[in-house]
Amino acid sequence: MRGWLLICALCACGTAQVRYEDIVKGPGEDWLTYAGSYQGWRYSPLGQITVENAKSLAPKWIYRVPNARGLRTSPIVHKGVMYATNSNAVYALDARSGRLIWQYVDTRAKGQGVNRGAAILGDRVYFTTNDNYLTALDRQTGAAIFSQKFADREKGISSTSAPLIAKDKVIVGSAGGDSGMRGFVAALSAETGEELWRTYTVPTKGEAGAESWGDYIEWGGGATWLSGTYDPELNTLYWTTGNPWPDFTGATRKGDNLYSCSLLALDLDTGKMKWYFQFTPHDTHDWDAQSWPVLINMEWEGKPRKVVLHANRNGFFYVLDRMTGEFLRATQLIDKVTWASGIDSKGRPIIIPGKDPTPEGNWVCPSVKGATNWMGQTYHPGTGLLYVITLEQCGMYNSTSQTPVPMKNFSGGGATEEGGQVILRAIDPKSGKRAWEYPMTGFGRMWSGTVSTAGGVVFTGDDDGHLVALEAKTGEHLWHFNLGELLTASPITYEVDGKQHVAIASASAIVAFGLFEPAQQVPLPKIHLDK
Amino acid sequence: MRFPAALLLALPLAAQHGRYLSESKHPAIGNPEAIAAGAQLYATSCTGCHGPDGSGGRGPNLVRRAVWHPLSDEAIFNTIRNGIPGADMPPTKLSEEQTWNLIAFLHALIGPASENSVPGDAAAGERVFWGSTAGCSQCHSIRGRGGRMGPDLTDIGVRPLALIKEALLEPSKDLYILGNEAVTVTLKNGQVIKGVARNRSNYSLQVVDPEGALHRISMIDVRELTVSERSPMPTDYGKRLSKQELQDLLAYLARQTLRAPETKPDRGKN
Repeated sequence: MRGWLLICALCACGTAQVRYEDIVKGPGEDWLTYAGSYQGWRYSPLGQITVENAKSLAPKWIYRVPNARGLRTSPIVHKGVMYATNSNAVYALDARSGRLIWQYVDTRAKGQGVNRGAAILGDRVYFTTNDNYLTALDRQTGAAIFSQKFADREKGISSTSAPLIAKDKVIVGSAGGDSGMRGFVAALSAETGEELWRTYTVPTKGEAGAESWGDYIEWGGGATWLSGTYDPELNTLYWTTGNPWPDFTGATRKGDNLYSCSLLALDLDTGKMKWYFQFTPHDTHDWDAQSWPVLINMEWEGKPRKVVLHANRNGFFYVLDRMTGEFLRATQLIDKVTWASGIDSKGRPIIIPGKDPTPEGNWVCPSVKGATNWMGQTYHPGTGLLYVITLEQCGMYNSTSQTPVPMKNFSGGGATEEGGQVILRAIDPKSGKRAWEYPMTGFGRMWSGTVSTAGGVVFTGDDDGHLVALEAKTGEHLWHFNLGELLTASPITYEVDGKQHVAIASASAIVAFGLFEPAQQVPLPKIHLDK
Repeated sequence: MRFPAALLLALPLAAQHGRYLSESKHPAIGNPEAIAAGAQLYATSCTGCHGPDGSGGRGPNLVRRAVWHPLSDEAIFNTIRNGIPGADMPPTKLSEEQTWNLIAFLHALIGPASENSVPGDAAAGERVFWGSTAGCSQCHSIRGRGGRMGPDLTDIGVRPLALIKEALLEPSKDLYILGNEAVTVTLKNGQVIKGVARNRSNYSLQVVDPEGALHRISMIDVRELTVSERSPMPTDYGKRLSKQELQDLLAYLARQTLRAPETKPDRGKN
């Protein structure tokens, strides 16, 4: 077997590298970052699947992810290889057959949680473990390169979001805001995992904004459990923050509780906060701002303007200037909102009194799940519409007067919800008005999102376990497929061997679709055994 | 087809012998002093038959047995005390405490090599690993350096020492070949691809070649496929390396762990 060694000795390892510039370009054949593009569009220029032929879509392969329950992963695809995650695990799959190439399971990771996906750069794939290790793996083999701890599980922090790669940095966030922690966004070196900067989402005592808190400021929350978006020209990251803690009682934290339930604009190089915009000051309904900040350029009052669109869990749809954070407009995202009568000219909600949680329970709309949530939204540059999964649902909010105990799953009360309906809505950002809507059947339990394509198709998971194709212009149904499971992840699209695919993680598997083709006969291979 | 080996190897050891470990409640288990005392007893009474690292000899391989077919601590206790009638394993006159110390040492032996005291010079072993005589790094990687054909060894210290040694000296032994099938693929267009099959079915094949490039192949494009029943890893390390080099290499490999160790009391690692 010495021959093998000789071959190895002669080798110079060379594989196709993923450059930052490739991610900036946005999706084509590949899907290189969680939301497809830095702008958070989940839009692909692939046009093989069209309004006319979408009815011929058929399943191509299924990969059952070991031990998976409720997958949240949005796969990454590069040159025919797909990278999908589960808790503490990464799987590299042949994107045309679904066959496993390698898997990496971190058996030492403490805790199991959800994991929203991986990121790639160079010849590496990155993901975070539930116990806050950023791990870099060789994309070809799954070999470990480093595993660097960036936060303490002992301080109530876990990691669930897909890392975001920008230039030479891997941006990571933090989860755990419902039981007390201090949220942050951090940039780690893609080369070594070393920390380059860290920006906390809740100030320390004495810092600006600390006056908007009370005694529990050190455990104030403001988790950052969803990846953000990035504007390469402005060199700015847009990252959302979660609820203040304790979730359902504001008695211990009188004030606005900065910078919870906000959108932060951070300088990529330094992490310095350029501006912030708080959607829900002093939130008591667990309305994290985790929903996509979608970056588009559009005409505003006759002039071109760089804006950020944001459909918020609190029931309103916002347009902000993304250079300054200036509030431009908010419109109602769902029909039934009972906690605020509107948003004032400065962007602050006009509160309807008596809507805080009470010990007896207070019925408020939207429900704790929010008018929308972290599921993928898509912006289609052809139609100029933003497609958002919304939930028409109200819920009962309870508070408790117990003393808060950090990291004890204490949320200061609780919330339940009843009934409700998921509706995919196509929103015109220029007016905030709906172009069309697609109501779904189901129980308001899904976390599935959307992807749109140059073929004029919007794909969405529905609340009843289907992957559905709709016409982007009109919302007309084109095709559906019953995946037979609750959907908690968003679809993507890619091309391999000249064929466009659409893939989605169901609760337990990755499933890929493409246009129907008759099977080719494959003769049994002639295998010669070398003994 | 063969079961992809990477799957098996990636299984947590804890999952394989979890029952064995989790049922251990005796205070000696995991106690560094008990383990040290057990190590002395083992060296004087057990090494002759079971090998210094438990990898066997005249007697069975204790580590392999513990990983795949674990015995309860009570069963081990009784075996040590009573021996195995009709076999070479004699009864002992060890006290209860001594017996438990020995069991504590056995637990350590089947645990991660990185958590045990492994004799040898790790710095010299590092030179063996990256040097040309052994050539390990031509196929294996550690922390992103090295070849891409063979399994990554960045975290190999999580495995028991005896199994690392076995993989080094007898690479073709059962599961160490699985998922690392050496293949030669001749395509219908005449192209020949030689490498390691990460996965293979009647319909497709995923091969990593010696340059580390991945080939996704449809079987419809394959004219001939040769599958080696042996591991692509050389089988002559027992001869190619001196005893000292081998020991040093094991000391180096035993130290390879991906995560920085959590702060623990020093057990006198070398």
